[in-house]
Amino acid sequence: MKKTGVLLTTTALMAGLLAGCGSDGKESNAAKSVLKDGKYDPAITISIAKQQDENAGKYINGESLNDNVLTRWGVDNLGINIQTTLLGGDASQYNTKLRLALTGSEKLPDVLPVYDTSLENDLIQSGLVKDIADDINKYMPDRLKEIYKQYPTTFNPVVQDGKVYGMAISPNLTEGQVLLIRQDWLDKLNLKAPTTIDEFETVIAAFTNDDPDGNGKNDTYGFDFSGKDSYNTGWVSDSVMIFSAFTGKNLPGQWYNDNGKLTYGSVADGTKEALAKLQDWYSKGYLNKELATQGAWDALADFTEGKAGIIMGRPWLYGSVKDVETNVKGAKIKAYPTIKGVNSDRTYQSGQQNDGVFMFNKDFNNMEAFFLYYDKLYDAAFGTGDFKYGYAQGYDYDIVNDEVVFDSKKFNTPLDAAQGVGKMAFTKNTPSVDGPGQSFYDLSKGMEASNGVLIRSASNDETTKEGYVISYENSEALLPNAFNGPPTKTMQTSWEQLNTMEKEVFTKIIYSKEPLSAYDDFVKQWHEKGGTKITEEINEWYNNASKVDVMSQMGLK
Amino acid sequence: MYYKSKGYRIFSIFNHILLILVALSCLLPMLHLLAQSFSSKTAINGNLVSFWPVDLNVDAYVKTFNNSNFTGSMWISVIRTIMGTFISMFIITTAGYALSKDFRGRNALMWIFIFTMLFSGGLIPSYILVTKLGLKDTIWSLVLPGAFGAYNLILIMNFFKTIPKALEEAAFIDGASFFVIFRKIYLPLSLPGLATVGLFIMVGNWNAWFDGILYMSNTTDYPLASFLQTVVVQGSAQSMALSQSEAAALSEQSIKAAQIFISTLPIILVYPFLQKYFVKGIVLGAVKE
Repeated sequence: MKKTGVLLTTTALMAGLLAGCGSDGKESNAAKSVLKDGKYDPAITISIAKQQDENAGKYINGESLNDNVLTRWGVDNLGINIQTTLLGGDASQYNTKLRLALTGSEKLPDVLPVYDTSLENDLIQSGLVKDIADDINKYMPDRLKEIYKQYPTTFNPVVQDGKVYGMAISPNLTEGQVLLIRQDWLDKLNLKAPTTIDEFETVIAAFTNDDPDGNGKNDTYGFDFSGKDSYNTGWVSDSVMIFSAFTGKNLPGQWYNDNGKLTYGSVADGTKEALAKLQDWYSKGYLNKELATQGAWDALADFTEGKAGIIMGRPWLYGSVKDVETNVKGAKIKAYPTIKGVNSDRTYQSGQQNDGVFMFNKDFNNMEAFFLYYDKLYDAAFGTGDFKYGYAQGYDYDIVNDEVVFDSKKFNTPLDAAQGVGKMAFTKNTPSVDGPGQSFYDLSKGMEASNGVLIRSASNDETTKEGYVISYENSEALLPNAFNGPPTKTMQTSWEQLNTMEKEVFTKIIYSKEPLSAYDDFVKQWHEKGGTKITEEINEWYNNASKVDVMSQMGLK
Repeated sequence: MYYKSKGYRIFSIFNHILLILVALSCLLPMLHLLAQSFSSKTAINGNLVSFWPVDLNVDAYVKTFNNSNFTGSMWISVIRTIMGTFISMFIITTAGYALSKDFRGRNALMWIFIFTMLFSGGLIPSYILVTKLGLKDTIWSLVLPGAFGAYNLILIMNFFKTIPKALEEAAFIDGASFFVIFRKIYLPLSLPGLATVGLFIMVGNWNAWFDGILYMSNTTDYPLASFLQTVVVQGSAQSMALSQSEAAALSEQSIKAAQIFISTLPIILVYPFLQKYFVKGIVLGAVKE
């Protein structure tokens, strides 16, 4: 009897294997779809690759990646079905999966969001992605063209030999960082918010030594930031303001376009003085003691715990650290603009114009459908059309008693968190045309909250709103990295090494484990070990990228 | 008596301290996680939770079990672990039994198996193989590629070798076939070995996450470990592009803690039942005659 059992298992196994083999079908779209009144009939399918975001596993009502409120909307209203056929976890897994797809073992999805410049380059070299210059010219709706016109440099990484192999994913200048300061501490010590580096030093010294929380213990410090991954995180727990105070527009880890010549910020004049300042502050206990081991997100904890007095971050950071107002009695946070530099110019920060690029399978023939869908997604950003308030009632917004509500806890069916419906199709972030916070600025100037974007902004808490207004007023302080191309030849071999060296030297100097003179050695070594060569190559890339005028070819001029 | 000597006592004290430290270093993170899973978000963000919950609540667990993706993934993991363990054990025990005998070409076969222990084809060839076989997006892609492990095979084979040959010969004389001997003599006698290897395979299947992410193109098909990987790894995301809502999602530490804890629970529960075999299996494997 048992023998049959064994046999059965084996047979079942083999059957499973064989059945699997058959499913590699190659059906073709027999019926030709036509676009009629903005809808495809019969419905077409666009397959996409997707890097998972925070929506992972957070669809409500039993919805899923390929069957949710937005995919259904697409089928019902546009006759377009979006199907994710390649899904990756975090950035590195996603890139691995894209590379595996490049081996030709399966069909590449039609739309490929790519977030890694070297992978972008590999895709172009592989010949599997298409030149979309004509498609953009022909099919991109005018309101999107207006947006792409503003960000011509976002095409740099995907232009090769006058051909355009992709386009930025919803280009838009991100919001800048603000200083979040414990207002109750300032008040208690009779201090004003700092506007210069000297005032900043006075404040953090007082926050460290004068017992601002009044518990009689010397357990607080001034400035909380992260140095684990980089001294220029670009979003939260940043220290780039201190560097910029001495170096101006040369930010650590970033390339600056100095009148057509690109230079690297970490080796620029002034960095040494900034490091000297940080070293001094660290030894006096003004800074986060564990800064070199804490990532951007971990570094927040001290501030939220009520141990640190100042942190930097995008305006929404307030929402993540406001718990301190619950944890510590009397705590109050206020947003302030960043300080001025030593030469009384402003301080600068990294700005970001886009999050990766879209590339398209060379066999994908429905660019018109893609643009149709993509343009619709922008409805929420412009506050027009079907998505005037948001993407789906009861998901990312709701109408309660004739009022548009964005606080998910006040929905008719309350949710723990609003659903990021706009991210369910192709983009990782909902498209926006709000710049670094224009809607907040307009509201503060008395504009009435008439569309979704404005109502949504108005529903934020006061501190966040103030932060966004500051961010908008200081939007010239945002400098996008001048180099956004694929790694150059020398970069591929030595960039990682140079980066590691940079991080190590900076940290060791701040920790006083090396004298300040170690910085001079670092600059010398940086140049010798490939830095000079890389700078040359990057400038060459820059000249090439700006040589061919692809913008007019795409009708973006 | 050697254990009464001074040197032995010092060694014993040192031994105890060391083992306690090792045990603590394994236990404390779990305790911290457990405390976090019962604490409020506010307290966790403020770094106030160590080994005892602050603002005790079970929200995180309620939310976790109400999340259909979590429970769905858990179900897939259970099926995968059961299937994977049975298939692996079937292959390994039958192969181990055969290889514990002498026959022509045995050494050559053994070398082929050991070769796979030392060198693997790498990610790209295995991916192409699995995809071309059409296993992608099926549970077979999780269960089959790792079903045969040379290391486990050697363990089982050696276990079979320790069983006296006379037993088998006696059974032959009584008219038993190879399969009957395998089933009625070898398998019951090597229960400790089977349990040990079975546990290895079970834990391996339960914890494997990369294959899920690699071969499944829909989150609803993810086994639990892959699901957790995508949820938890977010915390270390270091992208500048992080938006407000993503940042908010990052800070749901209590839910993550609850999910990690729930996911480790089933496999922890299996241990006590296999413990007696486990100790025996290791001891038996160590004694050679």
